[in-house]
Amino acid sequence: MTAATANADDAVLRTEGITKRFGGLTAVDSVDVEVHEGEIVGLIGPNGAGKSTLFNCITGTLTADEGRVTLQGQDVTDWPEYKIARAGLGRMFQETRIFGGMSVRKNLLLAAQEGGADIGGLLRRPDDSLLARTNELLEYVDLGGLAETRAGRLSFGQQKLIEFVMALMSEPELLLMDEPAGGINPSMLENLIEYIRAANDEEEATIFLIEHNMDFVMEIADRIYVLAHGERIAEGTPEEIQNDERVINAYLGRE
Amino acid sequence: MSTESDDNGLLRSVLPPERVDQLFDLCGAHGWKLILASAVVGALPPLFGLREGYMMTVISEMFLFAILALSWDIVGGQTGYPSFGNMAFFGIGAYTGAILLKDFAVSFPLAVVSAGVFATVFAAIIGLIVLRLRGHYFAIATLGVLLAAQQISRNLEITGGASGKILFDVPPGVVFYYFFLGVLVAEIIVVYYLSSTRFGFILNAIRDDEGKATAMGFNTTYYKTAAWMLAALFTGLAGGAYGLFNTFIDPQTAYNGAWNVELIAMALMGGTGTVAGPVIGAFGLHTVIEYVETAFVGWQLVMLGLAVIVTVIGFPKGVVGTLREYANEMDYYERGGMAATDAAADGSGGSDVAASTTDAADSDADTEVTRDE
Ligand SMILES: Nc1ncnc2c1ncn2[C@@H]1O[C@H](COP(=O)(O)OP(=O)(O)OP(=O)(O)O)[C@@H](O)[C@H]1O
Ligand SMILES: [Mg+2]
Repeated sequence: MTAATANADDAVLRTEGITKRFGGLTAVDSVDVEVHEGEIVGLIGPNGAGKSTLFNCITGTLTADEGRVTLQGQDVTDWPEYKIARAGLGRMFQETRIFGGMSVRKNLLLAAQEGGADIGGLLRRPDDSLLARTNELLEYVDLGGLAETRAGRLSFGQQKLIEFVMALMSEPELLLMDEPAGGINPSMLENLIEYIRAANDEEEATIFLIEHNMDFVMEIADRIYVLAHGERIAEGTPEEIQNDERVINAYLGRE
Repeated sequence: MSTESDDNGLLRSVLPPERVDQLFDLCGAHGWKLILASAVVGALPPLFGLREGYMMTVISEMFLFAILALSWDIVGGQTGYPSFGNMAFFGIGAYTGAILLKDFAVSFPLAVVSAGVFATVFAAIIGLIVLRLRGHYFAIATLGVLLAAQQISRNLEITGGASGKILFDVPPGVVFYYFFLGVLVAEIIVVYYLSSTRFGFILNAIRDDEGKATAMGFNTTYYKTAAWMLAALFTGLAGGAYGLFNTFIDPQTAYNGAWNVELIAMALMGGTGTVAGPVIGAFGLHTVIEYVETAFVGWQLVMLGLAVIVTVIGFPKGVVGTLREYANEMDYYERGGMAATDAAADGSGGSDVAASTTDAADSDADTEVTRDE
């Protein structure tokens, strides 16, 4: 990937010295990451390493105790969460969060950023192009028949896909995915890799993802960061990471 | 779900889910006509001689309660913030109306509109405080607001203190009948329309997962407050007319905690988060209340309690909500479930479908539009 070698100017996301403490526990310890335009970057590390917490600090769900977060050159450290999202940050949660009481279609319509928050947009009904887009995306992930079904009725894997297409619907500049492959069956995994690649290529979403499925992450990521005990212990290509002594000891283990 | 299919054997044969589904589709497709037709039917009785007396009052009250229950549901059902303090808006409206009519000799329409405005402004201020709380804390805080408002009205001179206010020059009953009907129809139109807009979706999203809604870029405080103010507007309007309708208000009747519980029961029994549910619940429960109060004197609360329990067991999501779930279940197994299973069995389905995506989307968009209008 050419983007990986580019200079700092095209960083979609940059964190500098992000630190987050929970009481005596330092969940994230002075972490720097940089994600460049067009990249798919992985974030791996043992359970409790602080990966999700780092995501939460980036999205503004949590306030970091120290450090700065920059999105496309803009310092968003002190912004409220909703405003950071509006600036083009999409997010999928580790525990999969969609709106269970609403139809699948409404979930998607809601995710579309157009229409925004102005009164006119709020009080208009979704137009045809938006409806067509929801159909297109649902067909794309093979859930076309479920548009009018209450989202809470779907299986876990289906919900995960819905959360993913919701993220696509919002056309994010940067999409944070927390374990997208968790709980997905093997044949679906192939599709998921396709989908994420397509989102990256065609929808031009830069992607930063946490994953425990090593085959998956090694295949899809251009670059990988490794976190252990809140500290960033390595950064590099999948190749480099797989052969990194510290990473093997802290996380991957030996064959 | 498995228990449902066991329990509902009879229901299934008498009223198969696909029938219910068709009914919902039909109502969905002709929603506006249905509202118009209901409004016309509601307007008929006085034209055919019902001009005063017990029935007149009871039907007017049914409209009134439907307004209150539907208002409660905007925040309690659609947005998922169950308020035990909605009657505070009603009380503010009632006192505003009564004071303006009696002490300032303002005309009835102006008094009522002012009541709605006052209640809305009050809601905006209170909302900034209580809407930060969630779940039980929100419920208790709103109850606190209701009790505080009640006590304030008891202590003030302008509200007539504990003895309240008696109102004279009461217009004929038919005025209230049409007033409550008019406000109810207006509110149904507003809520029905909003539920198909982005604003309505956002309220439902807040109900389902407020954190996720925030993470998706919605400043939820803003939408919650707007919904809360809308609820207050309609509740306040109804309250504004209530003083005259009842010819009397005091702290107990204006800020009626028991009514607040009734409103919630109405919305729950009819189906929260729906437009028809709270209205049906209000009509149904008020009818039951009127009936048991005359038929089971001394036992009315027991009978009422039984009626509520039976409804809640039979219709755990309210009448409308449960039926919709029942219909939707069929939807899922017939179309979605099958489609999803096929895809899983196939495994490679993803790319095939992706290739034919554009065509499918086009034709689907067409059907969707016709269905939506
Ligand atoms: N809100 C919180 N309050 C207190 N401690 C927390 C909180 N959130 C996370 N932690 C702690 O911070 C540490 C990092 O948690 P985090 O969820 O970020 O791990 P993770 O790397 O995402 O792990 P996993 O791979 O299991 O998802 C853990 O020890 C966790 O218990
Ligand atoms: Mg995690």
